[in-house]
Amino acid sequence: MAQADEIIHQQTRLKIMATLRAIPQGEWIEFARLKAILQATDGNLGSHIATLEGAGYIAVNKDFVGKKPRTRVALTRSGRKAFAQHIEFLRTILDAAASRHGDREGTS
Amino acid sequence: MMLSPKDAAGALRDIEAAQARSAQLHGYARSSPQLVLWGVLWVIGYGLNDVFPAYSGAIWGAVVPIGLIAGFAALRGTGHKVGWRYGAVAVTFVAFFAAAFFILWPINPKQIAALIPLGVAAAYVIAGIWWGPRYVTTGIAIAALTLAGFFLLKQHFFLWMAGVGGAALILAGIWLRRA
Repeated sequence: MAQADEIIHQQTRLKIMATLRAIPQGEWIEFARLKAILQATDGNLGSHIATLEGAGYIAVNKDFVGKKPRTRVALTRSGRKAFAQHIEFLRTILDAAASRHGDREGTS
Repeated sequence: MMLSPKDAAGALRDIEAAQARSAQLHGYARSSPQLVLWGVLWVIGYGLNDVFPAYSGAIWGAVVPIGLIAGFAALRGTGHKVGWRYGAVAVTFVAFFAAAFFILWPINPKQIAALIPLGVAAAYVIAGIWWGPRYVTTGIAIAALTLAGFFLLKQHFFLWMAGVGGAALILAGIWLRRA
């Protein structure tokens, strides 16, 4: 049975993972663009990214475009797998609730 | 970790909304340089076409391959995965228009120059129905400007497409980038 992932489940981190999951595998998204999509502040987003990076769920790449610094992030293979398992866990809860609801209707 | 069905449903809704928005904005970012590039090529292609109408075939025979190669390079340069789909889309467009002109022949250069942007506009509207309203707006704008130029400014149609059509594509590209 799928397990809950407490690192991913926090609301902002859940949205970060979902946003990265929608990008083709192997592609990166710039920090500034992620911030705009999630409407988060630099500090808030930075701390959640550090947590996800620490768990090995996302990779962070810092480089320069000309003289301008650029930070990009992408989902790792283990992040993709953990996110899929967390979604499965959420669906399991809904399925179990639907099944309980069906049982009650069947016995009444 | 204990979650109620209501919490689980809320989390799944958040995931779905974030994924949809991310995919849409990623698509806009991917399309933006292509629109700017083709806008510049329209300015050059239609501009040359206006000055040298007898050389339409040679002009577009050079501009279209340059656009396809530059478009491919632009996508690779921005880190987007391109794969075989880019080539497949290009072949589909070329094959469609070749077949359409073959069926409609004889067809004059201005009709050819109007039909191609209308085909591109239709593709943008169709893409927008699935992947984002800004594509729909872009497609409708291209179609409206093409038809306006074709019917109202027939004598200066190439010039109109160079200036107004090309500029519209460039602006649409910038607009998608800023989404």
